[in-house]
Amino acid sequence: MSKKNDQPISRKKFMQELRRYERGSVTRRHFLGVTGLGVATAVMGAAVPGLLPRKSWAATDIGDRVILATWPNYHDPANFEKFTEMTGAHVQVNVFGSNEEMLAKLQAGGSGWDVFVPTNYTITTYVGEDLIEPLELSKINNFEASAFDPRFSDAGTVNGTVYAVPKNWGTTGYVVNTKHTGGKQLTTWKEFWDITKTDFTGRTMVHDYQLTTIGNALKYFGYSFNSVDPNELADAEKLLIEVKPHLYAINSDYQPPLRNGDAWMSMCWTGDGKQLNTDMPEMQYVLGKEGGEIWSDYYAVPKSAPHRDAGYALIDFLLDPAVNAKEVLAHGYPVADSRTNELLPKELLEDPILYPAQELLDALEFGAAATLTDPNRAELLARFKSA
Amino acid sequence: MLSADTDAVVSFRNVTKRYGDVTAAAHLDLDVTAGEFLSFLGPSGCGKTTSLRMIAGFDQPSEGEVFLEGQRVNGVPAYRRPVNMVFQHYALFPHLNIEENVAYGLKQRAPKPPSKEIEMRVGEMLELVQLSGFNKRRIWEMSGGQQQRVALARALINKPKVLLLDEPLAALDRKLRREMQIELQNLQRNVGITFVLVTHDQEEALSMSDRVCIMREGKIVQIGSPLDLYDRPINRYVADFVGKSNFFDGAIDRIDTTAVNVKLDCGLMIKANTGPDLESFESGDPVCISVRPEQVILARKEEQLPADCGVKIKARVMNRIFLGEHTEYLLRDEKLGEFLVLSPRQNERSERPFDKDEVVLAAWSRDTALVLSSE
Amino acid sequence: MYGSWANRLLLVPATVWLLVMLVLPLLVVIIFSFGERGTAGGYVPAFTLEQYANLSARFTAFKNTLLLAPTGTFLCLLVAYPLAYFLAVKVHPKWKTLLLVMIIVPFWTSILIRTYAWIFILGGQGLPKVLGFLGIEGVRLINTPTAVLIGIVYAYLPLMVFPVYVSLEKLDKRLLEAASDLGSSPIEAFRNVTLPLSIPGVATGCMLVFILLMGEFLIPALLGGGKVFFIGNALVDLFLQSRNWAYGSAVAATLVIIMLVTVSIYMKLVVRNQQ
Repeated sequence: MSKKNDQPISRKKFMQELRRYERGSVTRRHFLGVTGLGVATAVMGAAVPGLLPRKSWAATDIGDRVILATWPNYHDPANFEKFTEMTGAHVQVNVFGSNEEMLAKLQAGGSGWDVFVPTNYTITTYVGEDLIEPLELSKINNFEASAFDPRFSDAGTVNGTVYAVPKNWGTTGYVVNTKHTGGKQLTTWKEFWDITKTDFTGRTMVHDYQLTTIGNALKYFGYSFNSVDPNELADAEKLLIEVKPHLYAINSDYQPPLRNGDAWMSMCWTGDGKQLNTDMPEMQYVLGKEGGEIWSDYYAVPKSAPHRDAGYALIDFLLDPAVNAKEVLAHGYPVADSRTNELLPKELLEDPILYPAQELLDALEFGAAATLTDPNRAELLARFKSA
Repeated sequence: MLSADTDAVVSFRNVTKRYGDVTAAAHLDLDVTAGEFLSFLGPSGCGKTTSLRMIAGFDQPSEGEVFLEGQRVNGVPAYRRPVNMVFQHYALFPHLNIEENVAYGLKQRAPKPPSKEIEMRVGEMLELVQLSGFNKRRIWEMSGGQQQRVALARALINKPKVLLLDEPLAALDRKLRREMQIELQNLQRNVGITFVLVTHDQEEALSMSDRVCIMREGKIVQIGSPLDLYDRPINRYVADFVGKSNFFDGAIDRIDTTAVNVKLDCGLMIKANTGPDLESFESGDPVCISVRPEQVILARKEEQLPADCGVKIKARVMNRIFLGEHTEYLLRDEKLGEFLVLSPRQNERSERPFDKDEVVLAAWSRDTALVLSSE
Repeated sequence: MYGSWANRLLLVPATVWLLVMLVLPLLVVIIFSFGERGTAGGYVPAFTLEQYANLSARFTAFKNTLLLAPTGTFLCLLVAYPLAYFLAVKVHPKWKTLLLVMIIVPFWTSILIRTYAWIFILGGQGLPKVLGFLGIEGVRLINTPTAVLIGIVYAYLPLMVFPVYVSLEKLDKRLLEAASDLGSSPIEAFRNVTLPLSIPGVATGCMLVFILLMGEFLIPALLGGGKVFFIGNALVDLFLQSRNWAYGSAVAATLVIIMLVTVSIYMKLVVRNQQ
């Protein structure tokens, strides 16, 4: 049985992968974006809410449903069941692949969402486009601003008005299978790109996502992750085109090929790094010394929310520290809420993947709104992919 | 190894064809002589088409041997045999025009003749079937009769040793069929090619063929000229298939040197001449008497009948059908039951025709009554 | 009078469907293609030819599509024709239905899941590993144009098999006997009779596969590892990632025009050959 990893994929493993896929629980964000199937909808709770008994003890009647647009593998289903039990509202979850896709859907109108989960750098755009409403904080008693690390809650406030409250935060680094580096520890983005062109040729994956793929290529030259400077972008493009033939894939669904050994290294988010490292200790999560991305996700309410009260009730419920702690235990992304952290086990709070060393964190940058909407970066990625 | 008759174009020697458990043809022996027009005649399922397909090479015999011009051709595929076929529904190539259809066989030859020659031969063939000028037409622009001619031209262009025709006229209407029968006969005389035709239509077989091979349940019952088959059928099946006849069942009572006495089931005793085929009969064998309707003579008075009548009975006219030169009567006798009589008009000239319900005298001469095994 | 009135009534659903599902969206795409992108993405009304002027930025995607779509169609035909021929001509009628159903059965599962299965088959632990056991080392399949072509042939096979099968099935077997009778060996009979008479089925199959391949994005994304970029992938990115609706519309409109031109040329050729 020791040779198990060398066997072709087993039937059981295949079914697991397939199920995992069918549940929509692929790696956060991008798989669905890549396939254009971001509309994949998982219905939590009952399919036909009206047929189930309603709890009548809820303080106010918030209706029988609330629709949440979020990322895959980013909640504890048990919490949703509890919410339904308490309020009578069933949580319907729409899973998305990218911030761009969420924005596209809200811009197109008629999304039907009550609550959604934008990332820090998108919020000013939503405000500018008049797509989200200032939050009625009186309806979110569990949001206690002082309990949150301002680094991860600031972006929710635009021009002094709170539009979004923090959910989780994390980093974007890369994961490398150290079995193939001869035990060598990688520490920089320069090494990431250089080894791809040599020892790791055909084994590296980058995101199908302009923000991180271009941002981390910019880091090779020491430029800002968020740069929109044409000369700097031209350097990044040259690097990307040069590296492309050596890539295993441009795909944000990187866990399966990393697990079965086809790929050895990939750009990676905190939670995936943690999951891979837990199952395969040789998988090391690296934050490039030059920097890279740090991000924070938020809850916000679209202007068009059809079940507004239920949306607020859901945010309030999920920010309850006891509920939030359960969420963290389920998905493995850190929170910025000190009240929640008090409830979490010490090992988790000391985990170097979730909570990297301060000097590594200091080098990271939050994505900027201008980076997200920059048409030149979008075109650069298209040229890279079609090269 | 059985050898073939050297004069024969096609020879079957003890040929049997089985499809799984079904025997389509059993122990066939046959020689088709060069230049003759031979028809296989029989109802569907009698093995006539199977026989044709074994000549063409689409089917191979399970047992026995097939010879073409003295050469054993068992196992030789259709495309290597010097025979061609006119298919039942013509099977013309819909994606080719008339000229291309006709030229197909020539173009398949190795070496391929020069295109000038092909053009010339196609022209000849179209002229032969009176379709000159139709070269570029499409199949679906042609009438059934025209398609028939195209099929003939296509099959004849390679000058086959034998032309096989599988129910070639079945799809045509009656009038056109008559015309085509005559044309086919003329064509055969003109080109001098051996024709083997399959049909279920006895009139077609009798009118066109030099010889007819009557088949039943996979076996050859009788081969002979149309006249032979009509006058000297070997059994009731042939007599019934070739022309119309009245049959009266009975058994052999006594065989004299000059005559056979048959006792019919109804009790009547009938005398008939002995024939060469009667040697195998013994007293008590079940037989039938066959009398052709035109051989029955009708009269109002006994003295109008010939002297050597084998049978003289009184019968009632049940029905009368006027057929122009003939009149067909249906008569009924208490004992014999119903039987048909075909009476020529000149016999009736002296008197008026027999009326319905009139009781008349019916008779036939001893020579004309055939004693047949009742198979 | 009554007849024509009833005929018109019968045409209403189809007309409404075409208007709402085809003409209107196409009009929207054409109008958008002359507009501009908003600063945060989306569409700003304008009248400019800027988007069309910029089409060359997707030249590679168009080129890839115009290369891989015909190649994929041809490979599909190469695999489908013998299969259809076998089903229509060689298989005992008793087994036909079963085999036809077996071709359809995979369609009961989502194309997404089936393509995902190919990721495993073509991945390092799949076919290349089997080849490794046979002594052929170092074969890379997944995330290559070859993998995309394999996926395309697999996914589009039934679309090609069925029209070809139908044309071969209705082929009168006596025509082959006639050809044989006139001196054609089985191979010659196939070339002179079967092949030309199955051309309508082949044409239909090729048309179906080619048109759908022009818009294909899923298979290149999944089996090409994002490295094989069709115009369909460019459109997905333009609408869902960079949200450049105006440019996306111009690219989509151009794709429609290319398809119309290709299809009409193709139809002309096929129709002429049928005359």
